[in-house]
Amino acid sequence: MISCFPYRYPLYQIGNPQLRIFRPPFSLTLVRPGKEQPQDTVQFRIPMEMTKCDVRNYLEKIYNVPVGAVRTRIQYCTNKKRNHLNQKVKRPDYKVAYVQLAQQQTFEFPDIFTEKDVKSAEGSVEEMQEKFMEDEKQRQKPDLRRGGVTEWFGL
Amino acid sequence: MAATSVGRVLTLCRQFQNAFRISTSLAVQQSALTLTKSQSYLDRLTYPLLSSNWHCHVGQCRPLHTTISRRGLEEFFDIPENWGEATVKSGAPWTAKQLRTKSNEDLHKLWYVLLKEKNMLLTIEQESKRQRIQMPSPERLKKKLRQPLSLQIERSMKRLDTVVKEREDALRLLQTGQERARPGAWRKDIFGRVYWYRFREHALPWYMNKRYKRKRFYTPLFVTPHIRLRLEKHLRAKTRIQNKEREKQTVLQEKFPQIKAQSS
Repeated sequence: MISCFPYRYPLYQIGNPQLRIFRPPFSLTLVRPGKEQPQDTVQFRIPMEMTKCDVRNYLEKIYNVPVGAVRTRIQYCTNKKRNHLNQKVKRPDYKVAYVQLAQQQTFEFPDIFTEKDVKSAEGSVEEMQEKFMEDEKQRQKPDLRRGGVTEWFGL
Repeated sequence: MAATSVGRVLTLCRQFQNAFRISTSLAVQQSALTLTKSQSYLDRLTYPLLSSNWHCHVGQCRPLHTTISRRGLEEFFDIPENWGEATVKSGAPWTAKQLRTKSNEDLHKLWYVLLKEKNMLLTIEQESKRQRIQMPSPERLKKKLRQPLSLQIERSMKRLDTVVKEREDALRLLQTGQERARPGAWRKDIFGRVYWYRFREHALPWYMNKRYKRKRFYTPLFVTPHIRLRLEKHLRAKTRIQNKEREKQTVLQEKFPQIKAQSS
């Protein structure tokens, strides 16, 4: 029913039906923890309007992740920085949620940006370029017989 | 894995709409195989057998069934094959016209697919900022500006929202005759300006609400001269624009007498 949030949850009084949010407008960001966290803890950046119950329901219903405990805090970001016009620039605040998984599950933040060894096709221009670069590097390296002494010293 | 690949397929690529025009399960399999645009994604798409809740109510049914992904937190990241690649393929965002052809269930499912995709992009973006590496998916060159993928997805979601709102408006008008979902009223503020005040939900009646009573919806008498001055200023500005336009027209007529006078 309510998806475009008017910045407030609707009022709840005893006897009202359970609030249901179709098409939630919240988006979570999984972040790598800055400090060392226990194995079962996952760290998220969530919008300021979300609550702990929201996070729990979100993960359980949309991602099928069994959630044990959720703790949140608001990170205040600086308003001290100034731009080239000497105006104060505010870095936006954000809310952080620490989610502990139930059923003794563990989560480790993966390394996404491992560079793969790309071998270009034989006979192509790229391969020749790579060979040339490698030869150049070999030529740049100093003579091993000098034992680490630089060319600056004569002889 | 399946969800993001489905996400790529469904959310962004317009060409994949062919998959929606299906009426039988066999057609699903065939259409899935004949789509050649991104075979790598479809190889991993496992179309399951007809589930119990996917039976056609009417003769022509266009159901959309997405595989239930059991990956959990891995859905916040790309499929492992795309890790470390420089560019990742993606399609165009959804337009409102395309979205209007879809049923409510389809739109509902599409919203979640888009949402998961957006979460994944945000996660990757944050990680790339942390590692100080360029983000894998390229900034797609649009006609006017370079726009990142997350903006395209936001636009698709907004259009979805508009379509759903249109449908809700139509339904409400037919059933109750009310034009707006949120009740309101025309009210005067302290400065004499009339505006549409949208009602809020309160637990108390208005005469017991101290904060509400402090907000005055009437104009005190000492504001009347200020209103008159504001009106004069507005009229002066309006006549100034009109006079300028008229002068411009006369100058043009003098210079180029063959021009037909613009009817304003």
